[in-house]
Amino acid sequence: MRIVIVGAGRVGLRTARSLEESGHEVILVESDPATADRAVEEGYAVVQGDGADEETLEAADVADADAVGALTGDLNTNFTVCMIGKHHGCRTVMRIDEDYREDIYREYANEVDEVVYPERLGAILAKNALLGGNIRAIADIAQELQLVEFTVTDASPMRGYSLSELELPANSRLLAFGKADGSLRLPTPDDSLDLGDRLVILAEFDRLGDVRSLIVGETGRAAVGDA
Amino acid sequence: MVRAYVMIKAHTGEADRLRNDIEAIEGVERAHIVAGDVDLIAVVDVDSPGAVKDVAATQIQGVDGVEDTQTYIAMD
Repeated sequence: MRIVIVGAGRVGLRTARSLEESGHEVILVESDPATADRAVEEGYAVVQGDGADEETLEAADVADADAVGALTGDLNTNFTVCMIGKHHGCRTVMRIDEDYREDIYREYANEVDEVVYPERLGAILAKNALLGGNIRAIADIAQELQLVEFTVTDASPMRGYSLSELELPANSRLLAFGKADGSLRLPTPDDSLDLGDRLVILAEFDRLGDVRSLIVGETGRAAVGDA
Repeated sequence: MVRAYVMIKAHTGEADRLRNDIEAIEGVERAHIVAGDVDLIAVVDVDSPGAVKDVAATQIQGVDGVEDTQTYIAMD
């Protein structure tokens, strides 16, 4: 895909790098000359200018782009970028700066297809690192919905049983399974639950405690949620 | 009449509820949810500059979920 990213700071530059590594074509837009120069030195195609200015985005060929990422630290700029991007038929992604705004933009901003809040994912990673243990929050899917990886321990009541015998609480689903020494894959009913096996479960926030008791047992150190 | 525009920074995602609460305040003509570094803008129409302070600083600030307000009085 052809993607325009506005903002070549920490978030924008890493996103650009990750997209290029996946084979996509990226054009960066950056207003600060020094930051723009640094991105050029790193080998990126950069248009220097204000992304909230339509001419700048046109210079970045927004008309031919598939998607626009408004990833600056300035909310006003980001929203304007999305408006211009949407006008040109692009998929638009807007970075926000405070988590309460996520719901507001999802509900009201038709120009914004997706909202991203980088600090939230950073906080989830930091929390996992600090807590260690047998529970790893992967993502907040929605305010009340979390994707969590649980590891089977000695204390797990389901240890030794198969997945067909696993009865998860209501409003929770098993999405992936991995043996202790293998990578995650789709679960099959015959998979047995042994020490160190991992289950990726999508569950409503209120159910996470029940899921944890079932799979990890009561020794799990970490309380999940509230990232 | 005195007209003023009040920029409102929230700390909750309940934008609908905030707008309704703010529009229910006497003196507030209407309120809009906006994109950017403030979340709502209220248009205030009152009799005196003193009443602007009461509506903006006291009543709007007192709505649950409002973090901060900034008021601009129209001069034309």
